[in-house]
Amino acid sequence: MKVKEGFVLRKVATTYAVVATGKRVKEFNGVITLNETGAFLWKILEKGASKDELVSALLSEYEVAKDVAEKDVSAFVEKVVSAKIVE
Amino acid sequence: MHKYKIADLVFTLNCIYSFTPKLCANYEYFGETLPETEISITNEDIEKEVSLSVERPKEYLECIAVYRKLCEYIFKHKNGMLIHSSAVVYNGKAYLFSAPSGTGKSTHASLWLKLLGDKAYVINDDKPIIRLIDGKFYVYGTPWSGKHKKDVNTRAEISAICFINQAKEDTIRVASVKEIFPLLLNQTVRFSEITETDKLFGLIEKLLTSVKLFRLSCTPNLSAAELAVRVMTGEYNES
Repeated sequence: MKVKEGFVLRKVATTYAVVATGKRVKEFNGVITLNETGAFLWKILEKGASKDELVSALLSEYEVAKDVAEKDVSAFVEKVVSAKIVE
Repeated sequence: MHKYKIADLVFTLNCIYSFTPKLCANYEYFGETLPETEISITNEDIEKEVSLSVERPKEYLECIAVYRKLCEYIFKHKNGMLIHSSAVVYNGKAYLFSAPSGTGKSTHASLWLKLLGDKAYVINDDKPIIRLIDGKFYVYGTPWSGKHKKDVNTRAEISAICFINQAKEDTIRVASVKEIFPLLLNQTVRFSEITETDKLFGLIEKLLTSVKLFRLSCTPNLSAAELAVRVMTGEYNES
């Protein structure tokens, strides 16, 4: 899965926000806020990755147990899939 | 041509209908400063509002178009933006109550006035403009002030922004930037271009890290204002 063109990640103070730009604004006028882990996963997803690859990336970046990483990735994927901002 | 001064911007107005100049009468400017810009409305601008809004009289849509252009100019050139809110000034400091329409912003603001009497006033009850000037955020009264038409042609430094929701009991707490950011984004004008989005986010970031942030769950009763005034201003004494 990969982030659709036209969605961008921005840091605002202590939080991260994903918003639509250009023509995408018509289909997505909201904002998705992400924490640091979410922003890290988003950057990988901009290049395209599977769920397993996201878990591996998280494990190599953060000192975290595998089941926790899987849970974090699942929550993140659910968030971006339900918002229809990945393809 | 008549000059107007809103949010410390002097401009002329080129309208089709008389509704907007009448609405802006209290903001007419008779000083020496030359107008910095002209806000000019065409039938095309009005048609654009028709597509964005429900069916309304054209003079009303023109009025919205003027406000949109004013906000765009102030955003581009003056470090300012709209925050859909009811803004109360008490002891010289402004407190903004924001929420989606119908939540009770105006109701809560009017409770502050009931509680504080002459020491407080509503600077704008619906669409104030905020500006960053020399590192400080100010809220300005504008003639676009909701159905109660409550506004004062002045400015006040912003102390706090509070997002409200209806509840059976009154509770208030300090809120985080993370929490307020998406809420605020829904109560201002967004842009589709990335450069403008970045500028907007930059301004919002400064705002949210400069003023106090609160979440208030409230009843429509005076008790809500008693709680909010006490916590948000730290000044009010119930006795």
